[in-house]
Amino acid sequence: MEEGEEINEMLSIKIDEIQKQVKSGKINILNYELVSIFTELQKTINVNYLDKNSKTYMKACNLLEKKFEELRKLLGSLDNEKKFIEYLKLDPDDGEINQLFDMCWRTTFNLDPLSLEFLEASRKKLGKLEKKSYNIEHLKMSRKSGEYFILSVPEQGFSDHLLEFYDSTIEKLPCFFDEIFDGEHDQIKIYEKFVYILHLLQLGKIKFQKETNTLYI
Amino acid sequence: MKITNELSILMQLLSKKTNAIQIGATEEEILDTLNIKDKNKSFEFQNLINYLSYHLEPLGLQLRFNPLDDHWFLTFDYDTTDVISANPFKDQPRLGATLFYTLACCFSNSGVGKIDEIRNLRKKKFVIEDLKELEKLGYLKIDKYNGDVRLTSLIGYTLDLNALFMKIALKLKEE
Repeated sequence: MEEGEEINEMLSIKIDEIQKQVKSGKINILNYELVSIFTELQKTINVNYLDKNSKTYMKACNLLEKKFEELRKLLGSLDNEKKFIEYLKLDPDDGEINQLFDMCWRTTFNLDPLSLEFLEASRKKLGKLEKKSYNIEHLKMSRKSGEYFILSVPEQGFSDHLLEFYDSTIEKLPCFFDEIFDGEHDQIKIYEKFVYILHLLQLGKIKFQKETNTLYI
Repeated sequence: MKITNELSILMQLLSKKTNAIQIGATEEEILDTLNIKDKNKSFEFQNLINYLSYHLEPLGLQLRFNPLDDHWFLTFDYDTTDVISANPFKDQPRLGATLFYTLACCFSNSGVGKIDEIRNLRKKKFVIEDLKELEKLGYLKIDKYNGDVRLTSLIGYTLDLNALFMKIALKLKEE
């Protein structure tokens, strides 16, 4: 028997045991942590014994459903304010009441210096840092003398054009995809820019969000 | 929609302290500041809240809602940060217990509790002094002419009411 299959068997036995204890009233299902069972179950899933996994999963789901049912009952009883007051009429001591308060307090995050000016300045600083750290290396092209090369290599390399485009575009970001081509009527230039965008996206220097049609850094 | 500028504005709105008992912003304030006015604004708002919440999680922050004054605000997440959920009444159980009785009375009377009712339930002589102390701490307001006590919104920021209700319900179940 494989290790995963063995763990699956053990989980199944464990769930049966929990169900027995819940039925006998030994444990309260609301106090029982089920996340670990589902996490373990997830780890053991294997196509070779999927039927066993499914059965254990169904058992675990039944247990979870029972927990939800109990929780629903509990939340329903919250509306009954008389019971709430009745509990207080029992005159519980101050220590017991304070125990109810434990782990119910939270610390708020409020930062007054977080002004819009501060955020905007931070964004610009971060943008500059990112720009400085980015360096496109020139393509290395070796040509031995006498060799015929079908494409003529322009004086300014592709990387130079790409870097130039990147420098001029970064200021516009974030912006809609179409805005990059604003004012450009030459189809060749539009195509060129499109190619640069594809390269920058591939390099991960800029990003694109499909849902909002937005290019951003 | 989901760009740095909007998130920056949201962070600023949700972390600002308006006064000693108010933090963050309401849905209306947020929509107004972001100039979101179309008919799907509630949907847009939910999207923004979900998006911000997703990005705040790795920073150890959580987005919360205060039902007492309808404000959205931020808290530290105890599971991912070193911030400890300290009970401010740990060394003053008497005061904490009086606050608890006040909460019970206020919640069972649409937010306004009667001083006499709290005193009768608490069965202690020092109730008035405790209530005055709690008022100083900003948790409640006393209307001595009508004999009323009203909770301030501060309790909705600092106390996880859902967690407290759950613990009370469990306690009642045990009893």
